[in-house]
Amino acid sequence: MRRSPLIGATLRERRRALGITQAALAARLGISASYLNLIESDKRSIAGALLKRIADALGLTLAEIDGAAERRLAADLDELCGEPMLADLGLDSDGAQVMAGRHRAWGRALVRLHRAWMDRGQAVNALSDRLHQDPFLGDAVHSMLTQVTAIRSSAEILQSPQGLDAARRERFLGIVGEESARLADVARSLADFFDKDAAGTRSVTPADEVDDFIVDHENHFPALEHAAAEFRASATSDGDCSEVALAAYLRCEHGVEVVVRPAGALDPAQVRHLVGFDAASRTLLLAEDAVPATRRFELVRLALELHAQGRAVDEVLAGAAQLGSDAARRRARRALSSYLAAAVLLPYESFLEAAQGLRFDVDRLVQRFGASFEQVCHRLVTLRRADASGIPFALMRVDAAGFTSKRFPLPRLALPRHGPACPMWAVYQALHVPGTIVRQVVELPDGQRMLFVARTVEKSRPAFSLPRRLQSIMLACDALHADKTVYGAGLDLSSAGPAVPVGPSCRLCVRRDCVYRAEEPIVGR
Amino acid sequence: MATRVLIAEDEPHIVESLSFVLEREGFVVSAVLDGEAALRELRADAPHLLILDLMLPKMNGFEVLKAVKSDPVLASIPVIVLTAKGQAQDRRMVEDIGAEGFMTKPFSNREIAERVRALAAR
Repeated sequence: MRRSPLIGATLRERRRALGITQAALAARLGISASYLNLIESDKRSIAGALLKRIADALGLTLAEIDGAAERRLAADLDELCGEPMLADLGLDSDGAQVMAGRHRAWGRALVRLHRAWMDRGQAVNALSDRLHQDPFLGDAVHSMLTQVTAIRSSAEILQSPQGLDAARRERFLGIVGEESARLADVARSLADFFDKDAAGTRSVTPADEVDDFIVDHENHFPALEHAAAEFRASATSDGDCSEVALAAYLRCEHGVEVVVRPAGALDPAQVRHLVGFDAASRTLLLAEDAVPATRRFELVRLALELHAQGRAVDEVLAGAAQLGSDAARRRARRALSSYLAAAVLLPYESFLEAAQGLRFDVDRLVQRFGASFEQVCHRLVTLRRADASGIPFALMRVDAAGFTSKRFPLPRLALPRHGPACPMWAVYQALHVPGTIVRQVVELPDGQRMLFVARTVEKSRPAFSLPRRLQSIMLACDALHADKTVYGAGLDLSSAGPAVPVGPSCRLCVRRDCVYRAEEPIVGR
Repeated sequence: MATRVLIAEDEPHIVESLSFVLEREGFVVSAVLDGEAALRELRADAPHLLILDLMLPKMNGFEVLKAVKSDPVLASIPVIVLTAKGQAQDRRMVEDIGAEGFMTKPFSNREIAERVRALAAR
């Protein structure tokens, strides 16, 4: 059994709390006071029968005394280190252990509060999403508007009696009466609904703030498209964005050397992105396991930054009042610089034309543009220019643990901010068959039909002994657009055709009889 | 020859008042209560104009609109779409599919009569 280094302190603290002297406890245990003193000072280790006797004498469980409970508490406290809101406080694992050993009750209080806070946050988000997409609310609003239309139309007919005989007059008066009564019923059921539900709220984490900011712009930033076109025109030779040309541009125009090294040579904070720029030595370090599409993307990202000092991104950010925190602005800066790089490598007009010509076949777009599967999917989502738009796509990216690391929802398809979506979604099914496209016609509880298309992508892993790094990426579009894509071929896309009955997520789903349900819905009716 | 208008709307009271208003304007009006019936009627006896609700049973208004606009015989029939929810998204989608008019409920009799007159005169 592993022994906690703070076991003696635990015993002493407990003995003092009970008001027992060292001598009295030693006598009760049949050991000398000096031996107990050594134990309490962590200068003697104990286990077995004596440990059990001390535990009994002090009213402690073995888990509490041998440190297992303490280690659990330390692990729970450790979770707080990863909390973005606390990032600037320099919390670390050592501190968590000390807290768990010396201030157990305070530690537990912190963990309990943290969990309650997380639960509240999730509940608030779930409620907020629920209010946006609840089929009951949608139906209620639809009914009210329909009834008001009938009332208004009949009232207007009654006001201008031309062609209106007595029987018709009675008839339209009757309609006004009937529809008014139905309207009152709907209004009452709405009032009942809101009596039960709490109100929603806005974003809570920097990631949420950035998501909302991008979604508010329909995933499209004309200023960045212009900046990308300007870069291609002025900084490249006939739009040549090959790796060689980009490296030459960086060397000749900005004195930057591009160096490829094993990932281990990168700063630990940069390893995840496989790239690091040292401004002092003007060296761009690329990890050797970065695939060509990633290398090109990072070369363009740096070239754009040096070309115009990030002005285009700054200008977009200047108008982003909804990004409240510094963390959100940093995150948004990275998202927008990625957008800009993609706009250079996958130019709007030619990419849109190719996408339409190839019927949004992602694999073929990958071949044509030399981009990665994920880069192509992401770019498809941004084709929302009012006068030349592609299909409105939603996109989400999840890992094998169900964590959603990218989400671009559609007005008719909410994607979960936290926690998993519906387990039946193709984005999760794709993880069972890595590398294979999984397509799915789904029906949401409100009758809305969508086409889901998902596939995994695999990132390099640092060592053979470590797990594979699979992520699943899903595009989703309204079933009405599915016939414009290769993925709709051969599917019955009519509202009478077969569809997988999915929900948004268990917490928000109204399908009470679903065998895939993992959690109870947050609001019952 | 009188202009014939087909109303596809599942709410009988709206059909009734809309028919009265348009007949008073001199149009010949017929009505169907679901999407499948709308397509059947359009193919059997094409009207000069279609007023199409989006939330129809059996086949929703988006599907009917798409079928009309991708059918070479029917594509030239002007369509006025009626909607009661998700207005901005609905509007964008029906315009993409090719509807000529879009009205949100509750509309006034005068508005819809004017819209029908304008499109029928084209």
